[in-house]
Amino acid sequence: MDPYKDLLGIDLPLERLQHDLAAYRDILEQIRKLRELDLTDVHPAVVFEPTAPYREDSAE
Amino acid sequence: MNSELWAQPIETLAPSIRAGKLSPVTLVEACLERIEKTDTRLNSFIHVSAHALDAARIAAREIEQGKWRGPLHGIPIGMKDNYLTHDMPTTAGSSAPGLSFPLRDSAAAARLRAAGAVLIGKTRTHEFAWGNVTPPVCNPWDLTRVPSGSSGGSGAAVAAGLCAAALGSDTGGSIRMPASACGTVGLKPTFGRVSRAGIVPHSWSLDHAGPLTSTVADAAHLLQVLAGYDPSDPACQDQRVPDYSQALGKPVKGLTVGVCRNHFFEHLQEDVERAVEHAIADLAQAGATVRELRIPLLEYGLGAIFAIELASSTAYHDRSLQAGRVAHYQSDVRTLVEIGRFVTGADYLKAEQFRRALMDEFAKLFETVDVVLGPTTPITAWKRGEWTVQVAGKPESVLAASWRFTYPYNLTGLPAISVPCGFDRDGLPIGLQIAARPFDETTLLRVAHAYERRHDWTDRRPNL
Repeated sequence: MDPYKDLLGIDLPLERLQHDLAAYRDILEQIRKLRELDLTDVHPAVVFEPTAPYREDSAE
Repeated sequence: MNSELWAQPIETLAPSIRAGKLSPVTLVEACLERIEKTDTRLNSFIHVSAHALDAARIAAREIEQGKWRGPLHGIPIGMKDNYLTHDMPTTAGSSAPGLSFPLRDSAAAARLRAAGAVLIGKTRTHEFAWGNVTPPVCNPWDLTRVPSGSSGGSGAAVAAGLCAAALGSDTGGSIRMPASACGTVGLKPTFGRVSRAGIVPHSWSLDHAGPLTSTVADAAHLLQVLAGYDPSDPACQDQRVPDYSQALGKPVKGLTVGVCRNHFFEHLQEDVERAVEHAIADLAQAGATVRELRIPLLEYGLGAIFAIELASSTAYHDRSLQAGRVAHYQSDVRTLVEIGRFVTGADYLKAEQFRRALMDEFAKLFETVDVVLGPTTPITAWKRGEWTVQVAGKPESVLAASWRFTYPYNLTGLPAISVPCGFDRDGLPIGLQIAARPFDETTLLRVAHAYERRHDWTDRRPNL
């Protein structure tokens, strides 16, 4: 169980882990489909903006 | 008159209040009375404000003194229980021990109060807005069915006339799905149009704030007050806020309506399909040009939204997860929060790459059409306790089916609205979804209003 605990960052009893894996099966199927897409040249819709904390109106 | 007040939209109530023919006190009393009478069966409110009548009295006095603040002045509005409010507790639908949320106003609550609205209570949400059932809320059209969710309390309350409008939040369809299931209008504005500051987060890059209302004009009134820049929400954009009332009453002649035949018209209930085809024909008859199109990339969308929503939600709940507190969450929410740990970083970023590709596809599409139209959901309200439904002869989980047509607009951040477009054979409401270019809520409202005016769907109310 320790490798699971380390990889997932959560400490779940084996029974609970099996329950969660079963619940995840259909979702994983969808994520597998997503993995098939070749999006090598697409920048993710996440933009790092180092100037954000310096904006005058920043709430940070 | 009191007995009918609850059934009137803001667009009717506001002129009466402004003219001094209707006191906000009378209106709020009528809503409180209706909550007391019917909400024992609906369970749409988790908290009713002890301050609503005082706020109504203040509004009445201001209006008497000629200080009318606008169409929301003196109007009773429900707040989803994930919006912070300074005078009502927030639970985000959770009774897990060790959780507490501050007593201060969210940006939306503050804007509504500044517009003179009376915050009448907190409507129930599916726990942490992570689900589409919203127990224990019942659908006012059939108490054995769900109101959908996660803003199910808001949908049920508005449909039943317990408040004139209510706010919801929408991460994968949580405003539009209950609007569709309960027969109300539900507007998810463009990502960045309305501040989410002070809303308990679910998934930062997917969460949207918006209203559920009786009519399209009411949605325009709410958006007018809610829209605008707020530096407290890092995603909020400093874009001009147009006069949304200008969108109302305009013809659709000259506009092009896109109908995406793949994804949005696959595996849906027959009655839903029929109602939406009628709506498309209606708009064509009203002078709109209908253009059929396809976006094959949508086939990959479900994995993308699951990867983003699961990972984000689990990151938000990380402390609770580590502390074992999620064991006290509702069973379905606990599972979703735990399985968010299974999404890898690479899957998450692949989903964000997909998202950009999908945004590009929609941008291309919007070069040739003004709006995209289709069903809000493939199914009408399902029975409470059912987790699998029959859709076009095949079993499908309600979690997968209910948001299939709404989540593409959370991935792309495009504005989308659900308007009632008929009833199925069991008398359950059906929603028509319209989406537009980013920050083009004006065209969205124009088309929605033009459609709404051709029917009396929004005049019908459940028999409670």
